Amino acid sequence: MRRRIDVRRLTQYGVVVVVAVTLNFLLPRLMPGNPLVLIAGVDVGLLSPEDRAEIVARVGLDAPLWKQYLRYWGDIVTGDFGYSFRAKRPIVDMIWSRLPWTLLITGLSLIVSAVVGVILGAISAWRRRTKTDLGMLTGMISIESLPSFWLGMVLISIFAVQWGLLPSFGAVTQASDLVGWAHAWDIISHAILPVITLSILATPGVYMTMRYSMLETLGEDYIRTARAKGAGERRVLFGHVARNTIAPVVTVLAIRLGFAFGGTVIVETVFTYPGLGRLVFEAVSGRDYPVMQAAFLVFTAAVLAANLVADLLYPLIDPRTRTS
Amino acid sequence: MTVADRGERAARRAARRQSRIPTLFGLTGGLIVGVLICGAVFAPWLAPYDPTVRVATPFLPPSADHLLGTNDIGQDLLSEMIFGARVSLAVGLVAATVALLIGTTVGVVAGYYPKRLGSAMMRGVDVILILPFLPLLIVLAAYLGRSLLNTIVVIGVLIWAEPARIIRSQVLSLRSREYVLAARSMGAPDRWTILRHIVPRTGLLATGSFVRAVSNAILLEAALSFLGLGDPIQKSWGSTLFWAQSRGAFLTPAWKWWVMPPGLLIMLASLGFALIAFSLEERINPRL
Repeated sequence: MRRRIDVRRLTQYGVVVVVAVTLNFLLPRLMPGNPLVLIAGVDVGLLSPEDRAEIVARVGLDAPLWKQYLRYWGDIVTGDFGYSFRAKRPIVDMIWSRLPWTLLITGLSLIVSAVVGVILGAISAWRRRTKTDLGMLTGMISIESLPSFWLGMVLISIFAVQWGLLPSFGAVTQASDLVGWAHAWDIISHAILPVITLSILATPGVYMTMRYSMLETLGEDYIRTARAKGAGERRVLFGHVARNTIAPVVTVLAIRLGFAFGGTVIVETVFTYPGLGRLVFEAVSGRDYPVMQAAFLVFTAAVLAANLVADLLYPLIDPRTRTS
Repeated sequence: MTVADRGERAARRAARRQSRIPTLFGLTGGLIVGVLICGAVFAPWLAPYDPTVRVATPFLPPSADHLLGTNDIGQDLLSEMIFGARVSLAVGLVAATVALLIGTTVGVVAGYYPKRLGSAMMRGVDVILILPFLPLLIVLAAYLGRSLLNTIVVIGVLIWAEPARIIRSQVLSLRSREYVLAARSMGAPDRWTILRHIVPRTGLLATGSFVRAVSNAILLEAALSFLGLGDPIQKSWGSTLFWAQSRGAFLTPAWKWWVMPPGLLIMLASLGFALIAFSLEERINPRL
């Protein structure tokens, strides 16, 4: 019994891709100023006449807009994101070299925030309206108001500068030839603070969903039935509540993963962590627009993948939503 | 006193205790927001110095003359904090107003005409909600250029989708109420029914969405300023942190007086509005 993937959902994802690509195409062409500058990402004066001619020919700036649009789609479908005249490298290479770092810290922080958020949310709902519950709730609402970059800066000030426990920037120690365990520890110690920051920021979302979802489940008739027939608290909690609560939480987690990806723009900037988010910041401050655009498409793809995973997981966890 | 009486009184007491918590949240939020707004309005009288003028040696630690020290060009940081409230709150309030106007219009129209038009509009709202939010914000801000107006526009046009969804679901249920059906069956034009019977009744919900939007917009303004995408002339808490970061203040003891205060203020401002939003939402749909 497996659910067919919803055609409407897929159409929706298709529309999202079209919107993202079209935005990317239109923005540099509709903004005031020389589109050549916005497309090349460097001042025209810095380009040699050959470069300039090459860009104009490549994106077909002389052709009508619809032809340029078709060509733009052609490039994207064939995985050609263009060339960064600033970094003097193909953009695809830049993205591939940054992606693993971002995957590392977002993946780890997703695990941490999922575990912490689910546990705290469950405790909170179980002890509804007690001091524990209200204390946690207030704490989580406060965390949601934290500026993410500031949290990172403060953690660096305390743990890296004040106490000198952990490195304050980068993903590895520069110009060191550590091997084996020393190398592994080097990578881990650089990842700890960014992962803690991202985890703290992602926990309230998981917590709120878990708490709410569990409160709903606790109010269901079958929980009262279970209690009435004499099932112990433990059995009610693990046998009846847990399973029915977890489905919405997993969905939220999968969708959060997409958001967490976008959040790295700020956190990686603070930690000078060489991931995709930092690449966006570097591209923005260096006005390297093509790199910024390519990264935006990668983020869009990540969000869609996360949503797709959520769609596929839901019926596996909650059999009530399966259709035969 | 009968047993039933006693039970009823206990239940009423419990209900009162329960309703006290949202009120407490709301009052705390209101107090925070009130203090910050006063600070922003009376900034010229409260601030000891003009934050745009060099008044002392750069990088001074806190002293009696400069309670929070000075920044990298010798401007008084305390005055910068007080004046910074103006930009942060103004951007938050105006951007949230923009978002609420778009969100209410879309929500009401989509809810009142739920068939073709409404479902097409909500399809669009869903697409906006899926797009990676922060990267899109940055891309738009980078292309539009750095000015206060652009910051407001970019934030406003990106955060209306959630209010639109909330308001639409309310309108959907209002639409089938008897008095609306009565008005329509008497031949009232749609415009009149919507403005007279629908819009006024979305008030509480719209207020909740608005306050929540202010809370978000304050954080987003700070993030944009921190990334160097804010207005370079305006002093906001986010731009103070941008300079603190680019001058490496958080790698020196200066983090205690240069990095801590603006961050705490951003958090307080966002939290103040979030608490008010929470207490309003709790009134509409109790979740405690």
